[in-house]
Amino acid sequence: MQGANHEGAVGIDLALRAVADPTRRTILRLVRDDERAAGELADYFPTISRPAVSQHLRVLSDAGLVVTRKDGNRRMYRARPEGLAEAWAFLDDMWADRLGKLKAAAEREQAQVDEQARRRRRRK
Amino acid sequence: MTEVETRVVEQTVRIAASPEVVWRYWVESERMATWFGERAQLDPRPGGGCRVEMQHGPIMVGEYVELVPPERVVFTFGWESGGPPEIPPGSTRVEVTLVPDGDGTVLTLRHSELPASAADRHAEGWAEILPILVERAGR
Repeated sequence: MQGANHEGAVGIDLALRAVADPTRRTILRLVRDDERAAGELADYFPTISRPAVSQHLRVLSDAGLVVTRKDGNRRMYRARPEGLAEAWAFLDDMWADRLGKLKAAAEREQAQVDEQARRRRRRK
Repeated sequence: MTEVETRVVEQTVRIAASPEVVWRYWVESERMATWFGERAQLDPRPGGGCRVEMQHGPIMVGEYVELVPPERVVFTFGWESGGPPEIPPGSTRVEVTLVPDGDGTVLTLRHSELPASAADRHAEGWAEILPILVERAGR
């Protein structure tokens, strides 16, 4: 991503890459309500090797979408709730950005309408 | 039981244009395409569709619920593609009100979920946001 030069943009970039993969989206759905062990998660993907599942978990963890803790010799994963709050902030941003564009377009149009009205009055 | 969370995104913006001018940006395909997406197909009547293609692939699909020109427009909001299939068109709701303010308009936008899915709010949160993330990817 171009312009990923501050922390927020880097975070978004990582999160985007993390969710771009269907396996990782499935993992996110599996851990969003329940904490699950890496081994348990791997069992959901019989066609994917364990190291590959571990790699997916690492990508999700690096993106801040899951948190991990050790439970004996098992590694447990669950969705990171703050990640969701940040995600809602993105939705907020989306509307702020779009409404800014709407404002600019409508104000340009209003200025044109006003200008035309002025010209008509002058001609009278 | 956790409290029922009805997360709402709300924004207010003052626009130096009349409500009549601002209104057209919510109901005319060409005008909506100037600010919301790349292409828009709108059928502005209750039950009429609205379909907006975003820059990086996701397609917003909704349905107009209520139109009171030039004061209030309500439509459903969901993703047809670019997001997981469990976020169907119709899963959230956008209400826009336009209030005259001198020579301008105060626009308030409220993006909320339909009551039907509110109970499942926590479960849907993640999936719901994915298309937004994807949409922002190539900015």
